[in-house]
Amino acid sequence: MSNGINRREFLKRSTAAGIASVLTLTVGNEIAKAESELSNKATIIDLTKCDGCVNLGTPACVTACSKKNSDKFPVVNEELLKPYWPQPKFEDHSKNKDITDRLTPYNWTFVDKVEVDGEIISIPRRCMHCDNATCLGMCPFGAIEKENSGAVCINDELCFGGAKCRDVCPWSIPQRQAGVGIYTKIAPEYIGGGVMYKCDFCSDLLKNGQKPACVTSCPKNAIIFGEKEELRKKVYELAKEMNGFVYGDKENGGTSTFYLSKIPFEKINDQLKKQNTSPEGPIMGRPLMEPEIENKLDTVTGMAISAAIAPIAGIITAGYVASKRLKGEKTDGK
Amino acid sequence: MENNRKIIRQSLSNRIVHWGIAISTILLIVSGFGNMPMYKRYNIVKLPFGEFLGSFINMLYLHYLSAAFLCFFVFYHLFVHYFAKEFDILPRKGDVTQSFLIIKAMITKSQEPPSDKYLAEQRIAYAFIGGNVLTLVITGFIKMLKNLDSINIPNSINTIVTNIHNAATMLLILGLIGHIAAFIFKENRKMIPGMFTGKLDEDYVKHRHSIWYENLTDDEIDVSNNVTKEEKKFETSSM
Repeated sequence: MSNGINRREFLKRSTAAGIASVLTLTVGNEIAKAESELSNKATIIDLTKCDGCVNLGTPACVTACSKKNSDKFPVVNEELLKPYWPQPKFEDHSKNKDITDRLTPYNWTFVDKVEVDGEIISIPRRCMHCDNATCLGMCPFGAIEKENSGAVCINDELCFGGAKCRDVCPWSIPQRQAGVGIYTKIAPEYIGGGVMYKCDFCSDLLKNGQKPACVTSCPKNAIIFGEKEELRKKVYELAKEMNGFVYGDKENGGTSTFYLSKIPFEKINDQLKKQNTSPEGPIMGRPLMEPEIENKLDTVTGMAISAAIAPIAGIITAGYVASKRLKGEKTDGK
Repeated sequence: MENNRKIIRQSLSNRIVHWGIAISTILLIVSGFGNMPMYKRYNIVKLPFGEFLGSFINMLYLHYLSAAFLCFFVFYHLFVHYFAKEFDILPRKGDVTQSFLIIKAMITKSQEPPSDKYLAEQRIAYAFIGGNVLTLVITGFIKMLKNLDSINIPNSINTIVTNIHNAATMLLILGLIGHIAAFIFKENRKMIPGMFTGKLDEDYVKHRHSIWYENLTDDEIDVSNNVTKEEKKFETSSM
């Protein structure tokens, strides 16, 4: 062959390339297949079973979550714990890592307790993992991801800690820790505020076909894990059997967390409001259970369609104007 | 004797597009920054009418509404000039060198090289700003799709697209600052009325856009003066 490759070498290289291509396609397809096969998962949190682990100092799910995720908790650079200019404050939970009665960057689930009609109700709280998560849709840095399992996860390497996700979350779930993250490398006093942290549905365990730590640790089997569609059906069957109520299926356009209760959630929320609201406003890290929460992203769908139609309208108008102009030129030419 | 005659440089359509894009871009920048958690932090919300800016959903509405207007004007602009085969403003070979010579002449108050309808740096600025606007339109469209419940955009694409959108915004802001900063040079200020009336002084065109001036069509001479190209040429040669 003229380019210095003989027939034998050509066949050898072609065969190698062929094998490499087949391997790449096969392995690539397998990875893609495994990812796509990881269908939407969900949990039912049965409030008729959860007792908040009355006999334990800390509820088992909270301890298990903390243990499982300890390596993901923020490691703070103390020198960078400075107010967010021009604000006089900054958010630091690093001195209170042991707090377990609210959500913090070091505590991604907690069990709230309310008394309704003389009955104590224990409510495990964490990220609901919304279907069309507002935090994900509105993050200005694309730092929030949704996995095939339905887990909504914050990428701590991309998050600037602006806390917009907490503002747009109907339950204000993500919590901010200052002195950590990408913002510390740019202009920490002036831009950014840290990193937002929240439950990631133990997404690494889900990828390995395992269950989240809160599920496996619950001594009362109050948290049921499974395929989302099956659990959705199941939670309504259970609600029907006990003449109870479901929270989380419709709220914010749908989530992967279905709460089951014998007591209406309006009543639970009324109590939560009383104990989780201070004169300054809602207490951070202690979410309410507002009924019928609308997904704010649904309200912009019409506007998104208008923006999608606008280019077509522009092209049609351009065609009309150009043809009129060209016709005018032709007339002048006559 | 002072020459009051005007040359038409921008049609009504071009002026509507220019200001339409300018206003929608300013609104997009305001609402885009409003979609960053900035206005509360930097106390902008405490300014009069600032409360509106503090709502992320208000800012998203304003962003989408402005995006719809921007998309209309951008696509109208691209296609109307494509259909009419008008490509005067597209960059040409040698524009970078030519721009350098024009800026040098403005600083040293020496003779500028002859220019066509647009100066070389205007063509470069157009490409830079236009390229960024197109990048923003494309990435913005993908970001918008991501917010629709029925459409699932892969995480990696979402992250890349978001960061390209943010970077293009910063570049566009730099481009707009440069665009406005061009009027620091006194020589450029005579172009300002043209962006409102569409007309430029004939003397200015003759001096600064001599290539274009030599090839003016009848349509480009202000008819209100009742002067045809032939008359113009006659008057010019007899001066």
